[in-house]
Amino acid sequence: MVRVDCSKLCPEWPCEQPDEFKHVWVIAEATEEGVSEASLQMLTPALEIARKLDSKVVGVLLGYNVSRHADTLIKHGADEVIVVDDIMLSEYYPEVYGQVVVDLARKYKPEVILIAATMRGREMGPYIANTLRAGITADCTDFDVDEKTRDVLLIRPPFAAIMLAYIKTPFRRPQIGTARPNVFPVPPADESRRGEIKFEKTSILTARSKLISRKILKREEIPIEKAEIIVSGGKGVGGPDGFKLLEELASILGGVVAGSRKAVDAGWISHERQVGQTGKSVKPILYIAVGISGAAQHMIGVREATRIVAINIDPEAPIFNQADYGVVGDYKEIVEALIEELRRLKEAGPGAVEELIREYTQQAQAVGQG
Amino acid sequence: MRIVVGIKWVPNTQAVRFDPKTGTLIRTGVPAIVNPHDLPAAELALRLKDEYGGEVIVLTMAPPPAVQGLEHILGMGADRAVLLTDRAFAGADTLATSYVIAQGIRKIEEEWGPVDLAVFGQETIDSSTAHIGAQVASWLGWPYIYYVKKAWLQDGRLRVVRQLESAVEEFEVSTPAVVSVAMKALKARPVRLSYKLRAKLENPITVWTNKDLGLDPRCVGLKGSPTIVSKVTYLPEVPRKKIVYKPKDPRDAARWILAQLFSDEKTREALYKALWGGA
Repeated sequence: MVRVDCSKLCPEWPCEQPDEFKHVWVIAEATEEGVSEASLQMLTPALEIARKLDSKVVGVLLGYNVSRHADTLIKHGADEVIVVDDIMLSEYYPEVYGQVVVDLARKYKPEVILIAATMRGREMGPYIANTLRAGITADCTDFDVDEKTRDVLLIRPPFAAIMLAYIKTPFRRPQIGTARPNVFPVPPADESRRGEIKFEKTSILTARSKLISRKILKREEIPIEKAEIIVSGGKGVGGPDGFKLLEELASILGGVVAGSRKAVDAGWISHERQVGQTGKSVKPILYIAVGISGAAQHMIGVREATRIVAINIDPEAPIFNQADYGVVGDYKEIVEALIEELRRLKEAGPGAVEELIREYTQQAQAVGQG
Repeated sequence: MRIVVGIKWVPNTQAVRFDPKTGTLIRTGVPAIVNPHDLPAAELALRLKDEYGGEVIVLTMAPPPAVQGLEHILGMGADRAVLLTDRAFAGADTLATSYVIAQGIRKIEEEWGPVDLAVFGQETIDSSTAHIGAQVASWLGWPYIYYVKKAWLQDGRLRVVRQLESAVEEFEVSTPAVVSVAMKALKARPVRLSYKLRAKLENPITVWTNKDLGLDPRCVGLKGSPTIVSKVTYLPEVPRKKIVYKPKDPRDAARWILAQLFSDEKTREALYKALWGGA
């Protein structure tokens, strides 16, 4: 079927028809230890897209000494894996890894390529797309398929964190999208699954960059994307001392501390603990927002939180309209009281909870909802 | 060194508000600014110039009002500015934008000599794609690296330090290269009045339209963009309880919060686990 009129196309782009392309690829980041969890998570949308397109999911595994991990991709749902296991790939350089994917894509012509938007994925993805003269949509939160045209809708929050854009590339293939880690779950493993594993070589002989050193940063704390309880501070926390208090509350709750963009900008907490549009999306059971006003750019990062508690001095703060439980007051006093009450409860044992609930049951009914 | 800094003139998205009554974005009166994440990029370029000499050229593809953004970077100490502007460039996605920027860099090389480094901000606040650096590298065929916090020359070669999720890496990168600077990596120097005045007097802003670049109209703007926004919807509101309590005192506040969380079946179990290791 001719859908693309080559005379209308930029001459810098190869002229190809969409129906020359098939299969849904997931580019897998791997080390000698295994395939990254973020890459396995991308199998979830890949399987869904492949189901709607009646197509196959193909994992693409690049690296050195990584072949034995191809099975992991199969067990989690890939139908096939293409492996490039080469000493040239022992170190990651974006344009080298990118070029290997480009070469494979020129040979196999995948209809869709999904890449985890890890820092490396966000670095490599646009190079791959651009070199193929294909479109790319970053940080998708969902995907859909127009089954008639086989166009994938790549859905992302584009502007002010309030709107969702549905993006497609009807005249270009492959259709390329990235999604941030922990937006999708890892599909369950099926140990009995079998699939074809193909080995490919790379023609790349040298890299123009050279890794001089790598220092692994020790991560003793749980990354915020994985925490069940998060105590998060904003501008209202006022300074690093306030964050020490939040740290104390988080510690007694077995949770972690995070912050808003304003808290990160002020240098009170590191960027990797930032929640929101320019930070991370989190999905804890409990998110305690302390001194956070509730800007849309922040709230987009907590959409998946099961419950949100807001503590803020300003009764007009928009956060109260986006939280489950809100209290108006001085955060410092309230957080101190929370720490004290939690210590007391911990000491007294689970029995003390009944008494607490009884005390507030009537009050809660009186306040009501809304 | 001849360093090009790419910037974007963006609406200040932090100032955009949502009107819950009409369900629309309030954009009126939203000021435009230099994308804040581009300022560390300009700072990195200027520090390299301070240390090793050469010139810094700031570049943007935008409608003419973006001249204000170029003037800001000139005020920080950039030597020249280039505005790439043409109606044909409108509606560009990141692929078509990066194409024009890459061709702009090629033209800079024709006019003023070879470019050693093209520096970009990590991402923009209005679309956050982080695409442009890698795409420009792809068009130019240059090596590139993201998330750079520090750059210097060692034995005449470019060295950079960058930080990933759980590693700090040092690279030697052969030039010419593209570097994207990590958000908040460097504090940008203030705009100096004397630089701004000089910019006004010497008029170092060069404007190139597509007549100057001579690009095929099929490769730029909407026509050169593979991605199409097929529709836009508002994010559905997440249903929340929205119970707000005005406490008598801090202890009351704390006890009320805990009473809610312990009687809420969604949170009860997590709290029992946190305090006593289980229900």
